[in-house]
Amino acid sequence: MSDLALMAPELILIGMALALILVARRIRTAPVAAIGTVSAALAAALASGWLLSRGTDTGFGGMIILDGYSQFFKILIAGSLALVTLLSVRTIAVEQLPRAEYHALLLLASTGMMLSVSATDLLTLYLGVELMTLCSYILVGVTVQNPRSNEAAIKYFLIASFASALLLYGISLTYGATGSTTFVAIASALAERGLANSPLLVVAVSLLVAGLAFKIAAVPFHSWAPDAYQGAISPVAAFLAAGSKAAGLAVLGRVTVVAFGSEAEVMSLLFAGLAAFSIVVGSILALAQTDMKRLLAYSSIAHVGYALLGLMAGTPEGVSTTMVYAFFYVFMTLGAFGIVIGLGERGESLEGYRGLATQRPVTALLMLLFLLSLTGIPPTAGFVAKFGVILSALRAGHPELAVLAMVFSVVSAFVYMRVAVLMFMEEPQEEVTVDLPVAVSAALAVAALVTLIGGIFPGSLVRWAVSP
Amino acid sequence: MNEYIGIAVSVGMAGAITAIMVWLGSSLGKKNPTAVKLAPFECGQDPISLPMGRLAIKFYLTAILFILFDVELVFLYPWAVVYRTLGVLGLVEMLVFLGILMAGFVYAWDNGALDWK
Repeated sequence: MSDLALMAPELILIGMALALILVARRIRTAPVAAIGTVSAALAAALASGWLLSRGTDTGFGGMIILDGYSQFFKILIAGSLALVTLLSVRTIAVEQLPRAEYHALLLLASTGMMLSVSATDLLTLYLGVELMTLCSYILVGVTVQNPRSNEAAIKYFLIASFASALLLYGISLTYGATGSTTFVAIASALAERGLANSPLLVVAVSLLVAGLAFKIAAVPFHSWAPDAYQGAISPVAAFLAAGSKAAGLAVLGRVTVVAFGSEAEVMSLLFAGLAAFSIVVGSILALAQTDMKRLLAYSSIAHVGYALLGLMAGTPEGVSTTMVYAFFYVFMTLGAFGIVIGLGERGESLEGYRGLATQRPVTALLMLLFLLSLTGIPPTAGFVAKFGVILSALRAGHPELAVLAMVFSVVSAFVYMRVAVLMFMEEPQEEVTVDLPVAVSAALAVAALVTLIGGIFPGSLVRWAVSP
Repeated sequence: MNEYIGIAVSVGMAGAITAIMVWLGSSLGKKNPTAVKLAPFECGQDPISLPMGRLAIKFYLTAILFILFDVELVFLYPWAVVYRTLGVLGLVEMLVFLGILMAGFVYAWDNGALDWK
């Protein structure tokens, strides 16, 4: 297969982004940008699946790879792109955002994610991650008239560029120690020269993991996330919480298993620390939030902690549980954000959910489904995901982390059930809001379907979640 | 050392021509000095000022557009050197690259980045 054909999903997204940029001034009000983005995302997902059906391959001299792992995440990223586009429809109209530019940035950010999940070279990886974050900075600050959004964008920019510097420093140290940036070559150099656990390499690996931990907002590298989510418009916050975290976890997974297999001990220790801190800090700080987007931000920090439990094992089975976690997490968090977006102004604060069940029973039930899934209660997908990673932590010989994860699931249950109690057991105080837009309802239906099917047929996804 | 003589000659000639032009301009041209004319200038900005205050956004846009063409040149030069070995595929790839860059330029043009208002 030719090199370019391997990148078909990325090329589809880039092509649509360029087309939108070229006609930007002529489609200021038409919905064509959203339709184009959703169809490009679906085409990219189909192309990813079709490529996988033709077997695995590498391209561009071993810089990118086509395997089950990369295509799994590419389909997930394309799905999150399509859902976020649907969720953005009303927000764009209300905020009067430039449509073509907004969708082009979403498309290019997703391209970066796709490139990074198929990267088998540290430089391709960096290129993909940077493309993703560069577009994200602009998306966070896309409401230029809103000072809060500008502040969020500046904070995000400063902290994330610092993280990029750490990542680059880690890459350069790895190159210095092993003489290569390709994953396979790094692994063989480590094995041949017996560099395992040398101090230089420990520093290099730590810097790489720290740089990527910033991108997925794992504690102690999480400080930007709540502010960025709160300042950004809700669909962008959903995009950051869903797609970029999945891509970051995918990159960490491949680097851990393929490149630094010999550093398993250091990696495991780093991931254990990140996971434990993220779960504890994310769950506890979520308790204190009254702003829904900040609450979901801290919840996403805690969820990254759970997902890292799978990577901690360093085994293919462990990585596979993280893949399942990332997949279901994307859909349930997009669902919860979707309700926040659908309720408009009212959905942004916790108080807005008071008595929602008597006013909008279906919306309240959907929100309950996503909250149950985020807590990890059967029969939702969240339970399957959490069960997998906790089992993986037990198998990896970390019973203390498994216990910690379960204890803090209970703490997070209090966070999520607080919203449910407000919805179902309190009297409404606010006026009934406008109906959910059709596009948002469609996105919510997809998210709810995946959350339910994933919970009822837990084995349905495991077959596809193959570690690299 | 011989191969450097040509470079030395061209540097000398370039310097001489520039010097002659400056000298001709300053000796033959009319002079009507005013305070504004004699002030040092740098792209519309006061060159000696505190780095605060506002800057017209049009300078920023021009600088960004400059980077667009700068990046283009950075890639065109090495491509031109190995043009013959790359063949038709190299030409097509460069055209695609230029097309993508030009898409950005067309966007900026279309949205009024070149209108000096």
